[in-house]
Amino acid sequence: MADTLTNHVSARGLRAPRFSLRQREAIEAWLFVSPTVVGFLLFFLGPLVAVVYFSLTEWNLLTQQSTFVGIDNYVDALSRNPDFWHVLRNSFVFALGLVPLNMSLALMLALALSRPFRGVVFFRTIFFAPVVTSAVAWAIVWKFLLQGEAGAVNQLLAVVGIDGPNWLREPDWAMVAVIVTRVIKMVGLNMILYIAALQAIPRDYEAAARLEGASNWQIFRMVIWPLLAPTTLVIFVITMIGSFKVFDHIYLMTGGGPENGTLVLAFYIYEQGFKFFNVGYASALAMIMFVIVLALTVVQMILRRRDMQ
Amino acid sequence: MTSLRLQNLKKRFGSTEVIRGVDLAIEDGEFVVFVGPSGCGKSTLLRMISGLEDITEGELYIGDRLINDVQAAQRGVAMVFQSYALYPHLTVKQNMGFGLKVRKVPAEEAERRVMEAAASLKLEALLHRYPRELSGGQRQRVAIGRAIVGHPQVFLFDEPLSNLDAELRVHMRAEIAALHKKLGNTMVYVTHDQIEAMTLADKIVVLRDGVIEQVGTPRELYERPDNLFVAQFIGSPRMNVLLAASVERQLATRGLKIGSAHGIGMRPEHLSVVDAGAGILRGTVMISEYTGAATLLHIELESGETVLVIHNGQNTPRIDDAIGLAIDPENLHFFDGKGEAIRPLQRAA
Repeated sequence: MADTLTNHVSARGLRAPRFSLRQREAIEAWLFVSPTVVGFLLFFLGPLVAVVYFSLTEWNLLTQQSTFVGIDNYVDALSRNPDFWHVLRNSFVFALGLVPLNMSLALMLALALSRPFRGVVFFRTIFFAPVVTSAVAWAIVWKFLLQGEAGAVNQLLAVVGIDGPNWLREPDWAMVAVIVTRVIKMVGLNMILYIAALQAIPRDYEAAARLEGASNWQIFRMVIWPLLAPTTLVIFVITMIGSFKVFDHIYLMTGGGPENGTLVLAFYIYEQGFKFFNVGYASALAMIMFVIVLALTVVQMILRRRDMQ
Repeated sequence: MTSLRLQNLKKRFGSTEVIRGVDLAIEDGEFVVFVGPSGCGKSTLLRMISGLEDITEGELYIGDRLINDVQAAQRGVAMVFQSYALYPHLTVKQNMGFGLKVRKVPAEEAERRVMEAAASLKLEALLHRYPRELSGGQRQRVAIGRAIVGHPQVFLFDEPLSNLDAELRVHMRAEIAALHKKLGNTMVYVTHDQIEAMTLADKIVVLRDGVIEQVGTPRELYERPDNLFVAQFIGSPRMNVLLAASVERQLATRGLKIGSAHGIGMRPEHLSVVDAGAGILRGTVMISEYTGAATLLHIELESGETVLVIHNGQNTPRIDDAIGLAIDPENLHFFDGKGEAIRPLQRAA
């Protein structure tokens, strides 16, 4: 048998393969992942390394002069420049306003729309549609709606006897207006995530709890809410990160004003880099934002791991 | 007093009627099993009793109390689900005490009742575990424990053993029977497994397409089925049913008249193998399945019909052997053209 095989192989002139099966599998695997790896290196890791380097220089985009300044830009942001803390505070105010509002609204909508009833698909579509609407169109339309006396929002309020403020021209109201319009735009995404999580909870849990005498509120608080915890954590983190990165709404609706009342970190970085051409300083700010978002992600991973255990 | 009375109970989902007028009386302390094929409405009927499904029409009494509009939690029933429905984020102890907590039973009393139930179900060592850390049988015991702590008047079981393997199912069946003996509560149990029904029930309710086909003790259903459906549903392997015309001559030689019967039923375990030419039927062995305790023979009759025979004795015939089949006339079942049983008295008439 072995002889026959040897003869057969030599007759066909076959040689031992150049790569072992294991090596061939490794090569194939790398070929499959290479598009992603190349993209990651070119568009994520490369720029990240570049930003780290830029953040250690004083580089003016106009004069094209670059000087290595060490951690000066970081020291500038954290201790010398009062604007940074004001901007950071605005970012946190934006996040703390948006995240609870978005999440609670998303949960309420999901609870209402997770069970089948006539028209449920229509309502889900209505609440999800803004998510896929152009952010630019959304912001511009709302900018018109929120105009002082001429705006549709204030005209509606006037019908019920409320004298609405000039939403986008008063610092405190501008922040509220930006948060609310952003929530309306993005709440559909979290609603869908919550609907998926709610539909994954077996109906028997609710039936068992109801038979044991639990009220609707008790069922929600003692059964549904704990079972939603992993989803809530994910939604919390992605919404928090998203709110830190908000740019388009601010750029189009308030431009960071009035009186820097809506000047948040991402928009401030844009201004420093592309308006005032302080690329080094903007890069240092971007790194600080990266660290904040990274820290939030790490916290999420730790909490999830603990939750899974 | 925890008897149950179902009067002309109906359930419609939209225009589909799934329970089509059920009348049934369940005595205090009785173990009643609803059995029937998938989609016959047995689980729906159980959920109507529990209060998890509304009653479209008819009346439901627990004791003397009309409970059509009484909330599920106020009916004094506890239910064990097929999926167990144990809350995954709570420990065994918390699961068992859930109902007591929502009803605001004092902590000491709740603790005592949970510990009592845990002791009776041998769950003490598992109290601080989560459901995911338990085996299927343990989960089932916890689900039963959760039902016990509420001190319900009526226990409802919705296919509680379906997710267990065969060996565990036999074990848990015995545990449920022991529990009924110990507690003495009224129990209503849904299953599609007729062996479970036969072994557990004081009374079996056979359902098909939302109506009751027959109610009776396991023995009554086995020995005196009201119709072809019950005859073939109860008993395993199912009853052989032959066209009366094809065995008329052979029966006549033994002084048996088929009268108006259209079909003749013979249980596989009641047929015995005899020499070819003897007995009331004659056929050829086509398939022989040895199962250890017995051999299952597939016999092709001269009429072309096939019957199953459980052969317990020695001298098992071989494939292609020509054999005769005998049966005690007492064990013959007669059915009319509509599949309804013809009782001996009716036959005499």
